Amino acid sequence: MKYESQKIAYPYFVVALLLFVLQVVMGLWLATNYAFTLPQWLVNVFPFSTARAFHTNLLVLWSLLGFMGATYYMIPEESKRELYSKKLAYIQLAALVLVGVTALVTIFINGMGITIDNPWFNFNQGRPLLEIPRWLDLLVVVGALIFLFNVGMTILKGEHWTVTQAMLLTGLITLSLLYLFGIPVYENETIDWYYWWWVIHLWVEGAWELVVASLTAFALIKLTGVNKEVVEKWLYIEIGLFLFTGIAGTGHHYYWLGAPRYWLYVGGVFSALEPLPILLMVIDVFKWTRERKMELVNPLAWTYMGGGALYHFIGAGIWGFMHTLPQINYYTHGSQVTVAHGHLAFFGAYALFNLMFFYFAIPEIKGYRIYDDSRGKLGFWIMIFSMTGIGLAFSGAGILQTYLERVLGLGYMTAQAQMQFWFKAVIGIGIVFFIGVLRTVTDLLTLRPKM
Amino acid sequence: MEFKAAKWIFIIGTSISAMILLGLTIDTHRQVTALTHADQLTPQVIAGKAVWEKYNCNDCHTILGFGGYYAPDMTKAYWRLGAEGIKVRVLGPDKVFANSMRKMPKYDLTEEEVKNLIAFLKWVSEIENNNWPPQDQKYKPGVNILVAGVGMSKGAALIKEAGCLACHSLGGVGGLQGPEFEQVKRDKDYIKNYILDPRSINPDATMPAQRVSEEEAEAIAEYIANLKEGRK
Ligand code: HEM
Ligand SMILES: [Fe+2]
Repeated sequence: MKYESQKIAYPYFVVALLLFVLQVVMGLWLATNYAFTLPQWLVNVFPFSTARAFHTNLLVLWSLLGFMGATYYMIPEESKRELYSKKLAYIQLAALVLVGVTALVTIFINGMGITIDNPWFNFNQGRPLLEIPRWLDLLVVVGALIFLFNVGMTILKGEHWTVTQAMLLTGLITLSLLYLFGIPVYENETIDWYYWWWVIHLWVEGAWELVVASLTAFALIKLTGVNKEVVEKWLYIEIGLFLFTGIAGTGHHYYWLGAPRYWLYVGGVFSALEPLPILLMVIDVFKWTRERKMELVNPLAWTYMGGGALYHFIGAGIWGFMHTLPQINYYTHGSQVTVAHGHLAFFGAYALFNLMFFYFAIPEIKGYRIYDDSRGKLGFWIMIFSMTGIGLAFSGAGILQTYLERVLGLGYMTAQAQMQFWFKAVIGIGIVFFIGVLRTVTDLLTLRPKM
Repeated sequence: MEFKAAKWIFIIGTSISAMILLGLTIDTHRQVTALTHADQLTPQVIAGKAVWEKYNCNDCHTILGFGGYYAPDMTKAYWRLGAEGIKVRVLGPDKVFANSMRKMPKYDLTEEEVKNLIAFLKWVSEIENNNWPPQDQKYKPGVNILVAGVGMSKGAALIKEAGCLACHSLGGVGGLQGPEFEQVKRDKDYIKNYILDPRSINPDATMPAQRVSEEEAEAIAEYIANLKEGRK
C-alpha cells in the first residue's frame, strides 16, 4: 500500500463480511424450509419468499461492496495519486448501507402481506433478485453515481492510464448502466424476463467478470511481480473472449420464455463456449505464479486466488456447461440443477474473489506483510469442502427432480417428497459451511502480524 | 502475440457479440407480439401481473421457469388448475395445503385481485414458449407410468396426479376441504358429472370444475363409485 486513501477500502470490507454472515444464516433457514414442514402462522409472517429475497440480495450487496472496496484500494495505486475524495467514499458507503437496511425492512413488511397497490411504491418489486422497492433504486443510482464520479476523477487527475484501470472502469460503468434495465414496470411478462437477464446474466457473465478479472490482474501483479504488460495483454484476450461468448450467450435464458426459436441456436452455441476464457484464466494464474519474480509473502491470498480460479471454472464453467444446451435445459430449467450451479458459480467466481482480495489488502492496510494464516487456511478448506458438498447435494436433488417431475411427469410435490434426503443433507453440510464462514470472517476481522 | 493484436481481439470480439444481441433484440421485439399474444394484454391481465408482483409470489413459484424453486411452476397453472382451482388455493392456502409438506402464506387478496391474477395466468399459459415445461404438456406421462409401473387403476392414478387429494382424502391421506372419497355414496354418472361441473348438480358447490377429459372423469368416477362397495 502506498497511499493513505487506500485505507477507505477497509470499512467496505467489514460491512461486506457482516452481510456475508447474514446471507449464510438466511441460506440455512431456506434449507430448513425445504426439509421440514413449518407452521402456517410462521409462513404467514416470514414466508420462504422473504427469506429468499434476503439471501440473494445480501449476496449481491456484499459482492458489490467487496468490488467497490477493492476498487478504492486499487485506483490510487494505479493512478499514482490519492483518491479524489475520501469523504464521498464514506457518504457512498453510508448510502448503500442505508439502502440495504431499508430493503431488508420493507421486504420483510411486504412478506407479512402489508402491501401498497402501486408498483412504484410497493415495498417489494416482486421480481426475483430485484426485490428492493423501485423508489429505493433511486438511492442505489445516487450511490453508483458518487462511486463512478469518485473513481473517474481519481483516474482523470492521475498521471496514469493503465489497461487494468480502463477495463475496471468499463466494467463498473457497464454494470451500472445494466442495472437500469431492471427498474421499469414491464407489461409483458416475456419482455420483463427478457430484460431481467440483461441485469442478471450480463452482470455475472459479463460486467462482473470484467471487474473481477481486472482486480485479479492487479492483485496478481502485486503478489508475483510479473511483468505488467504481459498480464495486461492476456487480460485483453480473456476479457475479449468472455464478452464474445457471454453477450450473445444471454440467449441461453431465452429458450422457454416466448422468444423466437433462433435463440436455441444462438444461446446454445455462444454459451457453450463460455467455459473457455475461464479455463484460460486458470492457466494464467498458475503460469504467472510459477514464473513469479518475487517470493510469495502472502501465501493465503495466493491460495484463494488459485482456488478461486479453479472453483470459478468448476462452478461456472463445468456446472454451467452441463445444462446450457437446449436439449438438456428443456428438462433441467428452473430445477434444483439451476440451484446447484448458482451456488457453485457465485461462490467460486465472486465469493472467493472477494475473500482473496480481503486477504491480499487487509494486511497492507494494517501495515504489515506477514500475518498468522493458520486460522484462515482452516476456514478456507472448511468452506471449499462444504460448499462442494452443498453443490453435490443440490445436484442430487436436481437430477431426481429432473427425472421424476420432468421426464416421468409426476406432480411437483410428489417429486419434492422424494428429494427430502438431499435437502436435509444441505442443512447438515450447510452448518459446516457456516462454521467455515465464521472462522474466515473472524480471522479477517482480527488479522494480526505473525510473531 | 503483439499487444495490439490482443487489443483488437477484445474490441472486435465484444462488438460482434454485442451487435448480435442488439440486432436479435430488435427482431425479438417484433416477433414477441405474436408469440405472446400481446394483443390480448388487456388492462385486467396487466393488473393481474401487478398482483403477482405485489405479493412476491415469484420468490416461491417459478414462472416460465424463473424465480423461486420452492413451489410449483405457474407457467401452465391455468391449464392445470383452472380458474376455480387457482382461486381456492390463493384464497385459502391454509385449508387447501393443511396437510401439505409445504405451506403457502395466506394473504388477504380481494375478489378483484384474484380475478385479475387468473386473467394474467391464463394469458401466460398461452405464451408460445417451445412447449416448456415438459411435465405440463397435454399428454401427462405421470398417469401412464403409475398405471403401467405400479399397477394402479387409471382412476386412482388420475386422482393422485390431477390434484384431487389437495382437498379430498383417500385412505386417510389428503386434504380436509372436501369429503373423504370413501364416504362418497354416489353412482358413477353422478360423480362423473360432478367432477366435470359441480354446479350443474349443486349450484352452491364450492369445488371447482376439474380440467380433465370426459374419459378421465369417467375413470375417476368409476374408481370412487367402487370404493364404497368394500375396498377401503
Ligand atoms: C460466474 C459466473 C456465473 C454465475 C455467478 C452464474 C450464476 C447463475 C445463477 C444464479 C443462475 C440462476 C438464475 C435464476 O434463474 O434465478 C444461473 C442460471 C444459468 N446459468 Fe449461470 N452463472 C455463471 C456462469 C455461467 C456459465 C459460464 C454458464 C454456461 C456455460 C452458465 C449457464 C447457466 C444456465 C444455462 C442457466 C439457466 C438455468 C435454468 O435454465 O434454470 N452460467 N447462473
Ligand atoms: Fe447466463
